[in-house]
Amino acid sequence: MRTNDTNKAGLSRRDVLSNAAAATGALVVGFWMPERAAAQIISPEGATWATEPAVKEINAWVVVAPDDTVTIRIAQTELGQGVWTSNAMMVCEELQCDWSKVRPQYASANRDGQEMAPEWTLEVMGKGATDPFGGGEPEFGMRGRTGTEGIPNSLYRRMRTNAAASVKDGRYYLQLAGAEARERLLLAAAKSWGVPVAEVSSANSVITHRPTGRTTTYGQVAALAAQTPHPNPERIRIKSPLEWTLMGTEQKNLDVPLKVTGKTIYGIDVRLPGMKWAAVKTCPVYGGKVKSYDFERVRREPGVISAVEIPIPDPSLIRDRTFSAGIAVIADSWYQAKTALDKMPIEWDVPPKNAAFNSANMRAALLAALDKPGKVRVNLGDCDSVFAGATRIVEATYSTPYLPRARMEPGNATVLVTDDRVDIWIGDQSPQETRYSASRITGIPEKNVYLHMCHLGGGFGRNGNGPQAEQAIYIANQNRGTPMHLLWTREEDFVGTTYRAMGVARLRAALDAEGWPIAFEVRTAMDEKAPGAIAAFDRGPRYDTPNYRFSTHSETFHIPVGTRRGVGQPAHDFYRESFMDELAHAAGKDPYRYRRELISRTNLPYKADMIRALDMAAEMSGWGRPLPQGTARAIALEERGAEGGGHATISAQVHTVSISKQGDVRLIRVDVAHEEGFGFVNPLSVRKQIEGQITWFYNDAMHQQCNVVEGRIAENNFDRFPLSRINEDPPEINITFFKTGHWLRGMGHDRGTSLQSGIADAVFQITGKRYRDLPLRNHDLTWG
Amino acid sequence: MAIDFTVNGVRHSVDVAPETPLLWVIRDQLGLTGTKFSCGIAQCGACTLHIDGRPVRSCSVPVSAAAGKAVTTIEGLSPDGTHPVQLAWIELDVPQCGYCQSGMIMSAVALLNKSRNPTDAEIDTEITNACRCSTYHRVRKAIRLAASRMSSQGRL
Repeated sequence: MRTNDTNKAGLSRRDVLSNAAAATGALVVGFWMPERAAAQIISPEGATWATEPAVKEINAWVVVAPDDTVTIRIAQTELGQGVWTSNAMMVCEELQCDWSKVRPQYASANRDGQEMAPEWTLEVMGKGATDPFGGGEPEFGMRGRTGTEGIPNSLYRRMRTNAAASVKDGRYYLQLAGAEARERLLLAAAKSWGVPVAEVSSANSVITHRPTGRTTTYGQVAALAAQTPHPNPERIRIKSPLEWTLMGTEQKNLDVPLKVTGKTIYGIDVRLPGMKWAAVKTCPVYGGKVKSYDFERVRREPGVISAVEIPIPDPSLIRDRTFSAGIAVIADSWYQAKTALDKMPIEWDVPPKNAAFNSANMRAALLAALDKPGKVRVNLGDCDSVFAGATRIVEATYSTPYLPRARMEPGNATVLVTDDRVDIWIGDQSPQETRYSASRITGIPEKNVYLHMCHLGGGFGRNGNGPQAEQAIYIANQNRGTPMHLLWTREEDFVGTTYRAMGVARLRAALDAEGWPIAFEVRTAMDEKAPGAIAAFDRGPRYDTPNYRFSTHSETFHIPVGTRRGVGQPAHDFYRESFMDELAHAAGKDPYRYRRELISRTNLPYKADMIRALDMAAEMSGWGRPLPQGTARAIALEERGAEGGGHATISAQVHTVSISKQGDVRLIRVDVAHEEGFGFVNPLSVRKQIEGQITWFYNDAMHQQCNVVEGRIAENNFDRFPLSRINEDPPEINITFFKTGHWLRGMGHDRGTSLQSGIADAVFQITGKRYRDLPLRNHDLTWG
Repeated sequence: MAIDFTVNGVRHSVDVAPETPLLWVIRDQLGLTGTKFSCGIAQCGACTLHIDGRPVRSCSVPVSAAAGKAVTTIEGLSPDGTHPVQLAWIELDVPQCGYCQSGMIMSAVALLNKSRNPTDAEIDTEITNACRCSTYHRVRKAIRLAASRMSSQGRL
């Protein structure tokens, strides 16, 4: 295949633009000019990365153009969760600009790495910002020098997207950013009119001098405002939730119009003059290396330029995860590169120890670990003596498989390395970490590493994207001066991702004569590097018991594990809520009433919210009303952080499920009662996140698993790793929100986890068979 | 050997190995990046476009299959993003990450071109695109909304 002229180096920008436009009428995608100055990066419609503004900014978040268009800079990455819109809403609420004129754009990661946050954004409390419902303080994640967690007190505070934290971490300082800009725009207007600032106010980008009725617009005074420092930013006050006018209203996501026309530029869509493509294969057994390869066999294939051997990426750049070494073939087009790579003989040097792992022996090792001494995380009362004297003990062992994110956009990155600078175009949930990697791999100072952020085609847990950036940087560093676009095949994406760890858990309870747990023991086991080991069981089991012990156990495996959506919560929610169903059944009690009673007996700070969630979900669902044969309802509590008095998210769901005698499962209806803290920023985004997570976790419950065979992941494309389609989406989803008085932990990743216990309990109710190993499709679900 | 076909109403002649998947010709040779690559084995539907009005998974269709035919991609669905399906998608705020949505919309348009007022069963059978964000709930509602608009506008 001859590639289009746009891929040839050496054309002028005008030539390239006119050729491409004339030849195809296509949109001309992201452009970089050889001079490399940031201002010369051309950004077509649909590009999201930071650009140099045509006019001076008001502050690091806000640029107002003469036509009143407001650019709001977004420091988190849009991966479908709506942050592009909700972050902009938080700024706009205070700025009081015309929402229809807001244009989000990514903040510059390079700048975030160079500049410190303005003083007035640092100590956000004590500025009148305290929420009226006792919301307490915002919470900021830890910071590290490598950018792994963001850079301490960097300009944008938290240039990172994880843990469903964008809204909770960002709210106060984004509101402050909007307020600071508004006050300076008002000062500028007052100055230009020669009137006291107290006499001017603004709404929808229009500034009014109240005594005279004279008006101007933000755009008209923006240049002056940009030169007018705030005299006392420490006195800026932000609105309490009671005063919100934009926040708390359902706003359509600002990126949607470009997503329905195909114009949004994801990382995979970046095109640069002279760009070459890299297709990659790495050893499917992690830790493997290249023994030999024969590039001569494919050297003369169409478009092929070269091959690059890629070493195992430095684990210290990827959270100590060890991926594999591999080979990249470079060609004019990606399809040429991939075709040649498929034909190229490669022999792997596979570590025998890793190749000896398979799902069965890993599972056996984890089950054995449950019986070895573990790390005791909580030990309340005296479990041993209660169990020893108990007349009734219920015990169950559950398991969950390795799970990848399998986001729709395969891993990719476009990198240009020259002798003094690195440019990276990528959808990235942790840009500072990638800049650090680039500096370490190329030896070029981090301040000269520019990261141009694109939307992601799915995220579901930050560096699940694995070493896509590190590989691309390595290849580009070997080919300095040529932009290199690395793209993984779907099969390679399954090798390049981290996995949610395989896990097992044994739960045990001693019941009193009435069926209430008087002792409760939880043992979990998974890979020692797996994050989220204490989720859902820390401090206490949420449900009342006088004696409680929780220990974690581990084994060491070679599969790189990471933070898939929900991290430790989804598997642990499955274990806990499934066990509560089993206890209720053993006690002969209704599973809703059983949970409700055990929550009400605790002294947990948010127990009233948990009870309310259960009550509302039960009522919404018609709990207790008869259902046809083959149909059942299951209820579960979803909470994160409810054991403490700080940030938490609490909801309850009821799932109505039917199963045919042939074993076909249908989720008919989901009723969700979900708290809203002291107010959502964008309730529409929350609804969408809940809807999406319902089918995400249905998918986990029913279908998804990756098996390990001779050390490699066996399911590596969507033929063997099934994805739920629209036919499995429940026809009815009812969501009701209720107000509570605390900060929320976020909505993007651990709502809907109860689908797992819900479907499993419905299977039990209908078929009489209790299955404790996910996914459920592995089991016989027929009945009658 | 040159292969001739039209894309979004524009005639093209591409000199390319005939077995090259149509997807890569569209994305890399013609620069139309709205059509997405995801699985490469016709499973997920992110690469769905139309050949002579019929939806195909372009990652697994050779460019030779488009010879002499009319290809429509998401960019060619409407000149200004106002096809009733696109408008319904905006009104119900369907996309999340958006990556699969070009293919999802092309499948929905093909369904509505075939069936004026599709039943749930038809939607289940015909819309087999995968969406990892699981936007399905809104996809179904948006198909119904577009169907009602299209029939009231006599568009079919």
